[in-house]
Amino acid sequence: METPKKIFLIGLFFLTAGGWCIGAEASPALVQEKQCDTCHRFSKNDAIKSAPDLFFSGDKFQKEWLENFLKRPGTIRLAGPTRDPGFLKGKPQYTGPHPALNSKEARQITDHLMSLKTLKDLAPLELPELSKGARVRVKILFERDYSCIACHQSYNLARQPRGGISGPSLIDAGRRLRTEWVYQWLKNPKQFVPQGRMPLYAFDEETLRKMTQYIMSHKKEPENK
Amino acid sequence: MNRDLILILGVALMAILAGCEPDAADEKPSPPTVASAPSVPSPTPRMYPVTAATRETYQFYCAQCHGTKGHGNGINAPYLTVPPRDHTKADYLETRTDEHLFTAIQQGGLAVGRAPCMPSWQHTLDENTMHSLVSYIRELCQCEAL
Ligand code: HEC
Ligand code: HEC
Ligand code: HEC
Repeated sequence: METPKKIFLIGLFFLTAGGWCIGAEASPALVQEKQCDTCHRFSKNDAIKSAPDLFFSGDKFQKEWLENFLKRPGTIRLAGPTRDPGFLKGKPQYTGPHPALNSKEARQITDHLMSLKTLKDLAPLELPELSKGARVRVKILFERDYSCIACHQSYNLARQPRGGISGPSLIDAGRRLRTEWVYQWLKNPKQFVPQGRMPLYAFDEETLRKMTQYIMSHKKEPENK
Repeated sequence: MNRDLILILGVALMAILAGCEPDAADEKPSPPTVASAPSVPSPTPRMYPVTAATRETYQFYCAQCHGTKGHGNGINAPYLTVPPRDHTKADYLETRTDEHLFTAIQQGGLAVGRAPCMPSWQHTLDENTMHSLVSYIRELCQCEAL
């Protein structure tokens, strides 16, 4: 290859890699190499893609969960991602398995993802653990008054997952999601997903906190017994 | 007719007691109070024609349970103890007024004595859209309230 052409190509590469993501930090080369960005958006300014958006990963995920997921991905959306063209037919185009990374790659991409945020300076939210009685009351809100269980997997009394599948499974939400993010999501999911299939709710502050805490109490048993 | 009535009452009672899932009824603290919405003026569906936006709304939100053609077979349906209503079946829907359907959509299944797995859409959709969804359901069942 002649040198000017090479320089041109290298220049083009950097332009596409970094030039247009206004605000957000440019995605590291590894994200492109692994083609994560063919399915996911890493910047709000990208055109809509079918897999979940990742440009608020730093607000949303617990770092430890994220790194583990990238090494050993599991299924969270049992009916596929909500924007998949086959979603409503129960035949998502995306069938997995999700690409997996080695430890070094996972650490590198986790660090990058954790730097992607849309919320500024959120005060840490320390919620007291729910009393047994409060827990039962929120469970009833979750399963009865607000129909959450019709779209989301939760636990039954025998600690078996049960519930609808159009929304992400919540059975490991307490390890996967950050309390502050869940609180913000329940307050207004449009901050993150402007057009989502979940109904909007107008919770009062107390319910918001209790519902957040209830979701955060969902934890899978650790796999390495 | 009497048998049907008993059946309907029975189902309604079950729905009220049983949450969306079998074991929700096993725990019984007093039910929490939910802010009830202001009462609805009598809807007149003919004023609310079915538009492309109505159909899109139905596909986007309702089809995940009621199915893309309204048959009650959406992707969540196998996981619900009370099946989503089949919106193409006239025999039940003609026994319900437009007001009843509107309230079910606006305030959810519980508000009309039906199963709580039917969510409330009052904070998601505006009133005109909810009225037009009633018109759309009337189109799907090809029926009117008797
Ligand atoms: C073929 C498309 C595709 C590619 C390529 C892909 N993903 Fe995904 N990813 C998905 C889908 C679909 C999901 C949702 C899976 C689920 O919920 O079960 C997902 C889920 C995720 C999640 C969890 C998101 C959430 O909100 O729950 C993360 C984090 C993630 N991917 C990161 C990556 C990274 C990093 C790469 C590149 C190494 C990558 N993905 C490559 C399709 C893809
Ligand atoms: C009609 C179905 C439906 C109902 C009812 C519903 N959700 Fe959701 N929920 C969804 C969908 C779908 C998403 C994913 C957003 C999207 O892509 O549209 C979601 C996302 C979420 C998330 C974020 C999960 C993640 O990993 O991104 C949480 C937390 C959540 N819902 C909690 C609740 C709670 C609490 C309730 C009841 C108060 C509820 N949902 C009721 C469908 C529903
Ligand atoms: C999370 C699942 C779910 C979603 C999403 C959902 N529904 Fe329902 N719907 C149900 C279930 C379950 C029933 C049956 C209630 C019963 O028979 O007790 C129902 C019943 C109904 C009824 C009949 C009420 C009655 O008297 O039985 C109407 C009307 C209705 N839904 C309209 C809608 C519309 C319009 C939407 C979208 C805006 C929608 N539903 C979204 C689950 C859902």
